[in-house]
Amino acid sequence: MSAAPAAIRTEGLTKRFGRTTALDGLDLEIAPGEVFGYLGPNGAGKSTTIALLLGLIRPTAGTASIFGADPWREATTAHRHVAYVPSEANLWPGLTAAETLRFLANVHGTVDEAYRDELLERFDLDPDKKVRALSHGNRQKVLLVAAFASRADLLLLDEPTTGLDPLKEQVFQACVAEAHEQGQTVLLSSHVLSQVEATCDRVAMLRAGRIIEIGHLDVLRGLVAVQVRAVLDGAVPDLAGVPGVGNVVVQGSTVDCEVSGSMQPLLAVLADAGVHHLTTREPSLEELFVRHYEEP
Amino acid sequence: MTTELAIARRAFRQLRVGAVVCAVAFGLTVASSATTYASSFPTPASRQQLAASVGGDVGFAVLFGPVDRIDTVGGYAAYKSFVFLTSIGAVWAALAATRVLRGEEDAGRWQLVLAGRTRAARATVATTAALGLAVAIVFAGTAVLTALAGRDPKVGLGVGGSLLYAASLAVAPAVFGAVGAVTSQLGRSRRVASALALGVVGASFVVRMVADAGPSTRWLLWATPFGWTERIRPFTEDDPRPLVVAALAVAALVAAAAVLAGRRDVGDGTFSSADAAPPRTAGLGSPFGLAVRLERASILGWFAGVAATGLILGSLSEITTHPAPASMSGMLDRFALQGAFLDQFLGISFLFLASLAALLAASQVGAAGEEEESGRLVHALGGTTGRTAWFAGRLALAAVAVVAASVLGGGATWVGARARGVPVGAGELLGAGLNVAPSALVALGVGALSLALAPAVAGRVVYALVAWSLIADVVGALVSGTGWLAQLSLFHHMALAPAQGVDPVTLVATLAVAGGLAAVATAAFARRDLDAG
Ligand SMILES: Nc1ncnc2c1ncn2[C@@H]1O[C@H](COP(=O)(O)OP(=O)(O)O)[C@@H](O)[C@H]1O
Ligand SMILES: [Mg+2]
Repeated sequence: MSAAPAAIRTEGLTKRFGRTTALDGLDLEIAPGEVFGYLGPNGAGKSTTIALLLGLIRPTAGTASIFGADPWREATTAHRHVAYVPSEANLWPGLTAAETLRFLANVHGTVDEAYRDELLERFDLDPDKKVRALSHGNRQKVLLVAAFASRADLLLLDEPTTGLDPLKEQVFQACVAEAHEQGQTVLLSSHVLSQVEATCDRVAMLRAGRIIEIGHLDVLRGLVAVQVRAVLDGAVPDLAGVPGVGNVVVQGSTVDCEVSGSMQPLLAVLADAGVHHLTTREPSLEELFVRHYEEP
Repeated sequence: MTTELAIARRAFRQLRVGAVVCAVAFGLTVASSATTYASSFPTPASRQQLAASVGGDVGFAVLFGPVDRIDTVGGYAAYKSFVFLTSIGAVWAALAATRVLRGEEDAGRWQLVLAGRTRAARATVATTAALGLAVAIVFAGTAVLTALAGRDPKVGLGVGGSLLYAASLAVAPAVFGAVGAVTSQLGRSRRVASALALGVVGASFVVRMVADAGPSTRWLLWATPFGWTERIRPFTEDDPRPLVVAALAVAALVAAAAVLAGRRDVGDGTFSSADAAPPRTAGLGSPFGLAVRLERASILGWFAGVAATGLILGSLSEITTHPAPASMSGMLDRFALQGAFLDQFLGISFLFLASLAALLAASQVGAAGEEEESGRLVHALGGTTGRTAWFAGRLALAAVAVVAASVLGGGATWVGARARGVPVGAGELLGAGLNVAPSALVALGVGALSLALAPAVAGRVVYALVAWSLIADVVGALVSGTGWLAQLSLFHHMALAPAQGVDPVTLVATLAVAGGLAAVATAAFARRDLDAG
């Protein structure tokens, strides 16, 4: 046991609520410094995993550790390493943003004050406003600023940007990158594929409490089929033999199909036929799940 | 219209359990006191003797309301139930109204309602209609159980009288429910709204006591909803006029609530404080510090209520100048009180103060439960404060507040009494104040256990326990063999000092129960899953 402990390690981690199995034998190991994407549709068990890692709830079976500390039995030791942002920012309505940040910093024990002030600027947050006067997105920013400014070893982020506008989403992604540069570990739970693609090295996909896919992003990206709709000038050519193309539906001069891997072969065939109009859409993660794991 | 109907239905779902519990409790209390009286005092002679012993006594009237017609079954039942049932009804309705109105708004659900096809004023009226239905259940339950008990020829209460009596008991919940609807528009959070509503309940209670203190202040009965109930005099004088006043008051209050709701922004209050402020660092160092900072205003409010109650009861004790009739002991109440009538008056006063101290505990338990239910606790426990420490800290804060309120109540009673020249010792009344603390701490212990098992309802469990404790001995007397029910009252083992001697063994045992409950609760809390909100 000479190696440094993993930032997160779980073995057979299981949580049942009554008859619902929210998490079913999770085995996960995340090294210090990794930015790990944790993907899954609603109800997949993402929040349950994070609640277990925070020691808020007790595992039904299996074990978890945060830098070697058991989050249930040694919660306060584990908490020294962790900052947490949930998807809903429930804060004390009568405190101002600045007071909330002060309190959270005292609770956590560490804060990089210069970085905090910089983050307030970048997230465009008025620190003197009371929480009750803040919108959902602005409350979210309070917790994000607190988490990033804590410089915690491990950031547990559970769908943390639900109320943010696209500009602040960019700031958020930059902050994750900065945390990565600092050597911090990030577990980013999300159902927004693009967010995870932009920030994470490694990804796990969760469904009904089980990991159905885990690996580096490039590998997973290959699984993602793109929806293509083309309106052609003339008749639709036969696409049956084109590499990577499937699920072809032709209606008049309009064709719908899916492409996995490179677009090049399809584009070549279509260009010959004369493209009037072309749209592409990445399927949502949920569609991917449904397609990938539907019973044949 | 269908939207409003849906709103009313949803609000009613939150109210119906409390309404049914109140209806049954009210009905059983009245039925049992009427039945018990009819069998304890079977002959007209015995009834007249009882009435003569206390009838017209101002001290009793101040504490318990109309006491002069206890020579009849109906008059006795009305007297016996008056203070406790009207207070319980008032507190229940005030808290229920602020829960379904301001509480929903705090939780963000009201905003979803208003996103539908309705406006704030209409939604508010729809919600108060649900409250009205809840009060109607209380009315119906009381009327039916009273009339059923009245069919026994020995009891002999008529259907008309039972209806009027049930209506008189519905006055307090109806009016204070409407008060809660108005304060829900004024305050900016549920806690402020319920504090304002409970403040109105307390002030109305005090005005009623003052009104009953003598002929010169009797007119004040028209100024308080408790006075309206008293003025109706069901079964004896049957004066329905106060019902008209109550109906007008409810209509005016509901209209005011609707107008205010339409004028303000959702999430805001009519009394709004600033949305921005320079930071204050007090209490931000730890979860315990934050609890002290956030609960300070509420605790000080309870202290003010306890101090005012003590001052008023102390100064009203001046009217108890003549000695108590010997025949009274054990006849009117379980309170087998000894000594001068002054001591008896003060003994009952400390029962009121004990209830306030226990309600303070309920309020603290509710606040701690809300901290978890709202999802905020997760952030307070995200650092190096462990669960056990947090929980124990909350209990300690509440316990200190309960003990301080108890002593303060004793001290204020002494000040009130001395100001009117009543000969009582400071030490005696401070001791009597301290004597109520252990029972209130048991309420806190029960609340702690509820927090550990079901945080969402923990505050309500303690409020219900206090209400139960005030009526338990009446219900326990209903059927032989149910006397054990009274044993479950918080105040059953509490000596009514200074009228009763304090038994140190009982006191220590009570404290041990409170401590044991707290210890079990703390251990259970550390072992269960937290509600992450
Ligand atoms: N406290 C709870 N009680 C009962 N069931 C729960 C509880 N928390 C989560 N669940 C259930 O566990 C499953 C996983 O939920 P969750 O972890 O919140 O999913 P996600 O965060 O991925 O959307 C869901 O079916 C959810 O209904
Ligand atoms: Mg979730």
